[in-house]
Amino acid sequence: MELRDERQDGILILAPSGRIDGSNSTDFESGVMKWIDDGDSSVLLDFEGVGYISSAGLRVILILARKLQEARGQFALCSMQTSVYGVFEVSGFTQIVNIHPTRQEAIEAMQAASA
Amino acid sequence: MLTIAEEILLLFLDEQKGTFVRAPDFQLELALGGAVLMDLALANRIDTDPERLFVVDPTPIGNEILDEVLARIGESGQDRSVEYWLNDLREGVEALMERLIDSLVARGVLRRVEEKVLWVFESRRYPVIDDREEREVKRRITNALFSDEIPDPRDIVIISLVNACDLFGVILNPREVENVRSRADQIARMDLIGQAVGNTIGEVRASILTMMSTM
Repeated sequence: MELRDERQDGILILAPSGRIDGSNSTDFESGVMKWIDDGDSSVLLDFEGVGYISSAGLRVILILARKLQEARGQFALCSMQTSVYGVFEVSGFTQIVNIHPTRQEAIEAMQAASA
Repeated sequence: MLTIAEEILLLFLDEQKGTFVRAPDFQLELALGGAVLMDLALANRIDTDPERLFVVDPTPIGNEILDEVLARIGESGQDRSVEYWLNDLREGVEALMERLIDSLVARGVLRRVEEKVLWVFESRRYPVIDDREEREVKRRITNALFSDEIPDPRDIVIISLVNACDLFGVILNPREVENVRSRADQIARMDLIGQAVGNTIGEVRASILTMMSTM
């Protein structure tokens, strides 16, 4: 799994690619957490390149969302493939994290929320 | 720290009487099996998705009970559903329960009391010696249920098991149970093993009802 990073309008955008499961969930968690620990509090995960997520991957999403909620930051996901969105839906994660169809819509929503 | 399996067993224990709360055997069996799978998942030894459960890392954890189950799943050599393993683990659940009680007795949480009822029938009770662990589990569950915050993964798995077994009555009063029902359902959905325990309990209950209606 790779994790690309970029910044747009003050929002940190992290784009993992490949599968996120128990074999790499710890790396995924530490890869994202490093940015949060360094002070980033507006984080968007672009999931366009993620083709599979397991329970271990969902657990990392939960930990990140919880951490940013405690820090009164912003957290969202975008551009999910249908099968990955299905796993989020089955597990009720669509009710606890903000998920947007596109990166642009996510950025606009995050900017509007912080205005 | 107690395992999820030990925590759920403590919740099934009536601390006043030292006996297990009246619940159908299959509920306790499935909940304990689910708890063991959750312990392995939280230790990153197994992983799940909506279709299957698979081993991620076969390295033993150092807990005899969990390591035996991990080895059993690994030896099967194929990915199967969570439901398959829940039913598989039901077979040895009495021995599992005894070992969990032994562990809680060894840790000084419970005491084992053997006595005779009416001088004839043997009976066992498990009075709680140190209720700190039990109170801590109940406090965590209550906090997660009565707040809007995103719960901790460990609290999610416990809540999903308590929800599947409809055990909130041992922690909360009837009015509180009603008030937290939708929040409990929402949290319970967040763990796929917990979902499978709930579904399997529902299936067993439905098959029992069908059997009774045809008698």
